[in-house]
Amino acid sequence: MDLHELSIQRAHELLMSREVSSEELTRAYLARIERLDPQVKSYVTIAADLALERAREADRQIKAGEGLTPLTGIPYSAKDSLSTRGVNTTCSSRILENYKPFYDSTAIQKLNSTNAVLLGKTNMDEFGMGSSTENSGFFTTHNPWDFDYVPGGSSGGSAASVAAGLAPFSLGEDTGGSVRMPASFCGVTGLKTTYGRVSRYGLLPLVSSFDTIGPMARSVYEVALVLEAIAGHDPKDSTSRLELAPLYSESLKKVEDLRGLRIGIPKEYFVEGLDTEVNTALQTAIKQIESLGAEAVEVSLPHTPYAIPVYYLILFAEASSNLAKYDGVRFGSSERNVDRLLELYLKTREKGFGAETKRRIMLGTFALSAGYYDAYYLKAQKVRTLIRQDFQKAFEACHALITPVAPTTAFRIGEKITNPLDMYLSDVHVVAVNLAGIPALSVPCGISNGLPIGMQIMGPHLSEETLLRIGHMYQSQTDWHMKHPPCWND
Amino acid sequence: MSKEEVKVDENLVRQIALLARLDLTKAETEMFVSQFKDILDYVGILNEVDTENVPPAYLFSANQSVIREDEIEPSVPTDEFLANVPQSKDDYVVIPRVHNEQ
Repeated sequence: MDLHELSIQRAHELLMSREVSSEELTRAYLARIERLDPQVKSYVTIAADLALERAREADRQIKAGEGLTPLTGIPYSAKDSLSTRGVNTTCSSRILENYKPFYDSTAIQKLNSTNAVLLGKTNMDEFGMGSSTENSGFFTTHNPWDFDYVPGGSSGGSAASVAAGLAPFSLGEDTGGSVRMPASFCGVTGLKTTYGRVSRYGLLPLVSSFDTIGPMARSVYEVALVLEAIAGHDPKDSTSRLELAPLYSESLKKVEDLRGLRIGIPKEYFVEGLDTEVNTALQTAIKQIESLGAEAVEVSLPHTPYAIPVYYLILFAEASSNLAKYDGVRFGSSERNVDRLLELYLKTREKGFGAETKRRIMLGTFALSAGYYDAYYLKAQKVRTLIRQDFQKAFEACHALITPVAPTTAFRIGEKITNPLDMYLSDVHVVAVNLAGIPALSVPCGISNGLPIGMQIMGPHLSEETLLRIGHMYQSQTDWHMKHPPCWND
Repeated sequence: MSKEEVKVDENLVRQIALLARLDLTKAETEMFVSQFKDILDYVGILNEVDTENVPPAYLFSANQSVIREDEIEPSVPTDEFLANVPQSKDDYVVIPRVHNEQ
């Protein structure tokens, strides 16, 4: 068995029994990245020297036998929007091409503290704006299942790195489906966490009221291992939740069935536009979940058709404010061949940002400008209240909701890039979760024409344990998460 | 989305671009005019929703106090911060002049 095929649990056992060292494991991944990533293009930065240094530190720690956790010595990748001390952090934007933060984001720091090994940073749509990674300022990531297709976005590099065996897990970030959709398109498991469950300190923000960091891995159990390592309150993020994070993986060991759980099926998510094979896969998955003891009930989320316009209006507004800081003065690229400050701003931003980023900054500046604020931004925030109330009502009748992650499987590279509105509409099943701040898990549940299908399991705030329980029991009865793309054996 | 239609033309796009500090090319300006129309038409669907008496959603975490003790902590060393600054002098950030010469 090749080392990239090991689960995190198995790799941990071999590290602890010292049959494999973290350095060997890390070298195996780095060699595989060098061989395969020129085709997949999941990484924008490979931090080989730092990774080997960290791996040797892990090996010393294992030898000493002190403070070991299930992730000690385990390699991983991280989305390029997470600040990494001394390692390029670009958000796949030309404007941050050479930016090296002087501090680690809290999530990265927590993984460092247990000597998990950062292999490198993964490609994304610029600043998280996109559903395909085609908006990366550097290059497009390819779907490991078929290189002609997109991996989804915006954490497309993270999903592709896990699916192709170029990292056993990855830290992604989800603003409006950016963990779940690429997880679905690439056939891996991904968790969008409750808003505030994982500290956002050091995450380069896109939409401050939507952004969440979440794990991506091959199985629900591995996602749980990563979540318990990064969750918890952080004094450096005032919006992080004070509630203690449970040991998610421990509670999974005790789960035997899904008795006593009521699962809501929101009828608005199973309408025209949903691919027939995706629908069939979902209906089969729901039956399997019922056979584990759960009861399925139909529920309604009546404001679902408004989720996309609300999401995008708030995104445009908050993103245009958050991206105002990229101006060529304190960090990032800077067009210095100018006479005056205004020119520095105009030229740096014109050259540094890609088309989609400019489009959203423009739309946000417009939506926030005098005379239009009430009609666009305020209206969207009011409808957001109604969408949140839909979820509150639904969760009075059930413990979790099941829907598709995306209405179709992955689309072809180039298919939607010329029509931004068409691209926005592919997010129809994922954005409402971010408007409500609730958690949602994406789990592989089928394959259609060689491309994976994903199931989304949503729950109320801080219900990660329930979602992981449902996903874990589902994976104990099915093997969709164990299927690999053709390049897995390369 | 308001009662009168928003008139999206090159003038409006150029005016917004200046506010957003973007030096758009002619081609970008033309492209944005047509794409803005489509996107603003689409979000107009929100007019169907009655939001009379609905409060806007604000940033929400659980109600919690996040005030900490006012303790002195080490700050970022100046040289580490300045390492990313495009141009600096004597620990100051250098920018081009703001006004025309008198």
